[in-house]
Amino acid sequence: MGLIASYNLRSMVVRKWTAAMTAGGIAMVVAVFVMTLAIAQGFRSTLVASGSPQNAIVLRKGANAESLSGVARADVPLIESLPQVARTADGRPLASPELVVAIALPRLTDNQPANVQVRGVGSRAFEIRDTLKVVEGRRFTPGSREINVGRLAVNRFKGLTLGSDVKFGSTTWKVVGIFTADDASFESEIWGDIDLMAPAFQRGGYQSITVKLVDPTTFDSFKAAVEGDPRLYLQPQRERDYYFAQSVAMTTLIRVFGSFVTLILAIGAVFGAMNTMYAAVAYRTREIGTLRALGFSRSRIVTAFIAESTMLAIAGGVIGCALALPVHGLSTGTTNFSSFSEVAFKFRITPLLLVEGLAFAALMGAAGGLLPALRAARIPVARALREI
Amino acid sequence: MALIELRDVSKSYHRDALDVPVLESVSIAVPEGDFLGLMGPSGSGKSTLLNLLAGIDRPSRGSIRIGDTDITRLSERALATWRARTIGFIFQFYNLIPVLTAFENVELPLLLTSLTKKQRRDHVVTALNIVGLTDRGQHYPRQLSGGQEQRVAIARAIVTDPTVLLADEPTGDLDAKSANEVLTLLQRLNQEFKKTIVLVTHDPHAAERTRRVLHLEKGTLVEQAVS
Amino acid sequence: MKFLGLVLKSARRSKRRTALTVLSVAIAVFLFASLRAVLDGFNAGVEGSSSTRIVTQRSTSLFFEMPISHGEAIKSTAGVQDVTWANWFGGVYKDPQNFFAQYAIEPESYLRMYPELLLSPDEKRAFLEDRTGCIVGDGLARNYGFKIGDKITLQVGIPNYGTRDFDFTVRGIYKSGGAPVDNQSMFFHWKYADERSTQKGLAGWYIAVIANPDQAAQVAAAIDRKFANSPFETKTDTERAFQSSFVGMFGNINLLLGSIALAVVITTLFVAGNTMAMSVRERTMEIAVMRTLGFQSATIFLLIAGEGLLMALGGGIVGALLAWLLVNPRVFPTGGFIPEISVNTTNVAIGIGLSAVIGIVAGLIPATMASRLKIVDALRRVA
Repeated sequence: MGLIASYNLRSMVVRKWTAAMTAGGIAMVVAVFVMTLAIAQGFRSTLVASGSPQNAIVLRKGANAESLSGVARADVPLIESLPQVARTADGRPLASPELVVAIALPRLTDNQPANVQVRGVGSRAFEIRDTLKVVEGRRFTPGSREINVGRLAVNRFKGLTLGSDVKFGSTTWKVVGIFTADDASFESEIWGDIDLMAPAFQRGGYQSITVKLVDPTTFDSFKAAVEGDPRLYLQPQRERDYYFAQSVAMTTLIRVFGSFVTLILAIGAVFGAMNTMYAAVAYRTREIGTLRALGFSRSRIVTAFIAESTMLAIAGGVIGCALALPVHGLSTGTTNFSSFSEVAFKFRITPLLLVEGLAFAALMGAAGGLLPALRAARIPVARALREI
Repeated sequence: MALIELRDVSKSYHRDALDVPVLESVSIAVPEGDFLGLMGPSGSGKSTLLNLLAGIDRPSRGSIRIGDTDITRLSERALATWRARTIGFIFQFYNLIPVLTAFENVELPLLLTSLTKKQRRDHVVTALNIVGLTDRGQHYPRQLSGGQEQRVAIARAIVTDPTVLLADEPTGDLDAKSANEVLTLLQRLNQEFKKTIVLVTHDPHAAERTRRVLHLEKGTLVEQAVS
Repeated sequence: MKFLGLVLKSARRSKRRTALTVLSVAIAVFLFASLRAVLDGFNAGVEGSSSTRIVTQRSTSLFFEMPISHGEAIKSTAGVQDVTWANWFGGVYKDPQNFFAQYAIEPESYLRMYPELLLSPDEKRAFLEDRTGCIVGDGLARNYGFKIGDKITLQVGIPNYGTRDFDFTVRGIYKSGGAPVDNQSMFFHWKYADERSTQKGLAGWYIAVIANPDQAAQVAAAIDRKFANSPFETKTDTERAFQSSFVGMFGNINLLLGSIALAVVITTLFVAGNTMAMSVRERTMEIAVMRTLGFQSATIFLLIAGEGLLMALGGGIVGALLAWLLVNPRVFPTGGFIPEISVNTTNVAIGIGLSAVIGIVAGLIPATMASRLKIVDALRRVA
């Protein structure tokens, strides 16, 4: 009795071990899948969060990035006077002429210089981007050499803490405030008065004008008005569309790379699952024969084995998701190649991404279980019953 | 002096915190050239006794001497080397390696010697010739009948020219005709090649072919008429 | 050696299982070698950078330019032997999607200082003589089908270069004789771009050849001192540091690719280890028989570990060779900011080495299981 029990237990442990290794392989694949897509997701949402549905950004016709655009000073009042542009209580237009330049600052982590985006903004920029909140200090005073720095930039680069003096554009600027922007790319930027920034960087004109519209629905008439004005060689875009487009190249790159890697890796894991399931089928030949003799159909046997393999894989998928979860919210950064400056972002694991990960795991399990299940169904009943 | 000498050998297993005795104070002497049959019902300890003789299990008490060697004093490593030289073991279920041909199965123990490939070949051919399966060398176990498989297993057991042949129910899984062939072969090995053989069996027909028979019951030797 | 046959036979026991395992190791090694190649691609510029070249840029960032007069000042710095300069052009070829690097260079000095840019003497002469001529890398030429004599029209990307399109004639197709010159770039005359610029006489960065690599830091500091407190302060660094700042732009690629590679290895260890464990479990009886025949437990360990190693190595060789055959620019052309990716012999060797490690590690536990087997217990399982 004791011998039998210990033998059964032993073989159970061994089989558990096998199942665990198979699930482990799938877990790794799902973890890689979820993590790489979390990068793409994080980068995208950081850029998309920069756009507000009520805002429009006006660039030179044909320019697809602020750094490649140019707006004459004389264009600003023409835009500001349009009726679609929202106004403050005292009637001043919510429009901000802007200019971005990249400056090199050393990273905190490796002391390597990387590019930080400096944005010269108009005096009402904070009213236009209403997600921006000054969390330390105060806003810069227009007309003074003061700057505000995004929280993510402070955390990523040297010498940007409140009260620091930062030297760029042949002048020294004082950090008087730190702001957050709901993780949007603005939070990786340095903001200051455009009328001081432009000369500091030897720039004659502006690059863009961002306006707050009275209402998101007025965008079309705003666009028509700008494009209809023969004095303006400009083109408005919804701010959200603009930032979404900025994220496409990098997001696509990461997604393609991530999918390529996980797909290939998945094939390896599926082979592992196949091995396990073939072994399970061989181990249970007699059991399968009995079931068939009892009248279970082939399709039920196939379903049962695919289900087993799928469950095993989903268990692996759950482990994989759990392995990936800790990276959620982890901050990292990459260069936005539209602006050539670093954007800090956080790994973002959305519930949908987890579901995708589990679905991917289930798919791997089903794929790995298919051939062994078919083999199980093809076992001749009589022979199966004879087998030890 | 006897070739094999068991002195006061006991063996018990630990199962679920209990000591289960299998052999109790067994003493046997087997002279060189003997063909000893060990009989007894299931659980009498006869297979355990054979395993102890083969050095694949160790007694709880007592000593086992084979030739000049007290095998209870050997390390695992030394035991393995000793087995390779001294013991030829024949199993009830033949236990041939399924992925190896009959020839390769017989050659297997020779891989542990320093013989050249050519010398190994000669030994294998001789062994297969003795068991009458020279023409089956390239067959895989599944292509052989049970009787043939057991003869290949016997060839594997004798190919190293061991001092002692140990057979654990070698006919237990065979039909009468094949069993008879195997027993004849063992007798021949004993008479013609002077091999000392210990045969464990519960089949009286098999026991008849030995020179003498000892009976085990509940782990102890019981006196019965010697054939 | 005589045991090798035994190991091979054992691996053929369950052909399907062995094949699946070999393939999964092959896939892992394929991925691993490819990931290494990606990393190499990114680091090529850093690894291959010259120790005798230093780069001077505006201290603000690379996107700010300096007067052309800086060139003479740099050249007159002690320890500097030669100077050239370049500008980023940022033009658009037909569609913004077609991204590749275009540099406006001072051709004579640039080609002199970058012997890695391999051109035939005829091509070189033709390029130097044609003010609107350009040279393109062979990788770029392959991707876009450029041939010598072709016209290339670039739309202006950076407003400073005006609004009119630039027309170029391909005068040479260069090969890259080594990083940091990649083979996906286009070079043309700085003068041609400058004469149409709204602000004339500006250089993006200067490259200087120094006499003694050991003095790079001192020479760099001396250059920067010359322009300190001017409107155009500079920051001079070794070419290596300059190149690594480009790699750093992508973020922590080492960590990303490293983690993926780790996941690949762990996955494969699971698969291969599992197979070996299953295989040992099925063979319990055989192992017991071999031990009875007198095989040492150490020999059994080596046989099982050897089988794992052999399977993994087989997979490793297949995977590494596949990567070597498939992962190259002809099959996977890259472009833009992504460097060319090509699996080289080092990647192949490392991949095969990795497979050996996988084989040994995956076989370790099963082989230990097998060697520790209690013969009597194992024999009893069937009997």
